[in-house]
Amino acid sequence: MAQFSPVTGRYVTMDVIGDECKVFFLENGQGRPLVCQHTAGCHNHQWRDLLEDEEITQDYRVIAYDLVRHGKSDPPNNREWWKEEYSLTTDYYVAFITAFCDALELEEPIFMGSSFGGQVALQLALRHPDRFAAVIPVEANDYSPGFYLPWWKHPHADAAEVCASGVWDLMAPQSPDQDRWATWFYYTQGSEAFKGDLYFYSVDHDLRGRLEEIDGEKCPVVIMNAEYDYLTTTEEGRQTAEQIKGAEFIEMEGIGHFPMSENYPVFKGYLQQALRNIESRLGAPSPTG
Amino acid sequence: MAVEAAVADGWVESFRRATEEDAEIQAHGRYYTCAFLLDMEEHSYLVEMHAGKVEEILIDPGPLDERYQFVIRASAETWRKFAQEIPPPMYHGMFAASFRGDMSLEGDLLVLMQNLRCVVRQLELLRVIGVPV
Repeated sequence: MAQFSPVTGRYVTMDVIGDECKVFFLENGQGRPLVCQHTAGCHNHQWRDLLEDEEITQDYRVIAYDLVRHGKSDPPNNREWWKEEYSLTTDYYVAFITAFCDALELEEPIFMGSSFGGQVALQLALRHPDRFAAVIPVEANDYSPGFYLPWWKHPHADAAEVCASGVWDLMAPQSPDQDRWATWFYYTQGSEAFKGDLYFYSVDHDLRGRLEEIDGEKCPVVIMNAEYDYLTTTEEGRQTAEQIKGAEFIEMEGIGHFPMSENYPVFKGYLQQALRNIESRLGAPSPTG
Repeated sequence: MAVEAAVADGWVESFRRATEEDAEIQAHGRYYTCAFLLDMEEHSYLVEMHAGKVEEILIDPGPLDERYQFVIRASAETWRKFAQEIPPPMYHGMFAASFRGDMSLEGDLLVLMQNLRCVVRQLELLRVIGVPV
């Protein structure tokens, strides 16, 4: 029997520091925008279960975009991008996200991202606390070196399989096979961008000594790290939150680095906890659960 | 330390059977050909793979016995945790235990990367058959 999802997809064309970017996004729901960033070398299907979760979408307009060069968002239309080595910088990444929120005329969105999306959530809280009602950095810390590696794009190895199997044990072994393999599958599709994304993740993102500049009272910050994540551990997430004024930390048990994609039911409980925390601080009635 | 011959031989046979009966390795391992050493501190095992089949497994190989391209080395304790049905965090994978534990990946890592999917899967079979240390 045919079943239609309530999730819809659209493109929006916008300028990012001179780049013409035609950006694909999925959305569902109504209420405060909850803007979701996928992980490095991946795309918005990581948020597939959140996008269809009525308990969340009855109170939030969930929007999950593909970053330029990912999923259905092509590389910039007006540049000979194939003549350059792609290396994502903090400046560009932050400009992309604020341009996207402007293009959709979003008012006081909550920004949530995982992994390199979690790291940029911290950058947004630092640089644009006035633009976001709150941020939820998932699998984040102040500095995450060690993953900007040649293997992700080596001509002597199958980059698709290296990227996909290379991130396999970032997931918890007890996460459902179907969801872990869906996440693996997404990772076979993003090898062209993965290494360049990790330039931001492991090189350009460095907030060591700067966390105290983030005002987590002006822009609430709720960091959520998972116990099976070996790149950004729960301990590092907790230490990062402790250095940010007003920040909260939630430890996610029994799950790994791609929580929304590898085991949404477990992730959902922690997300609702984060949203309740944020809404209580924003002064609005607690909408979920 | 001398390995109990019966234990090691039993493990070798179990590992061979688990590998060759594994649907994933057999579906994707047509070109899975390489040799690697599993160093488990108390004992080591040289695994030779050919086209997704176990060609040979040497127990505690001598210094000049056979060639191999890469080594996965860790303490016996790490391997025992790795092989638990649900391993504890940071023992749940080759990269996790290398980034956060005492596992090390040595030798020609390009060959490891070329065969990554099958190696990752084959090591997970240890959670079913156990480790021989």
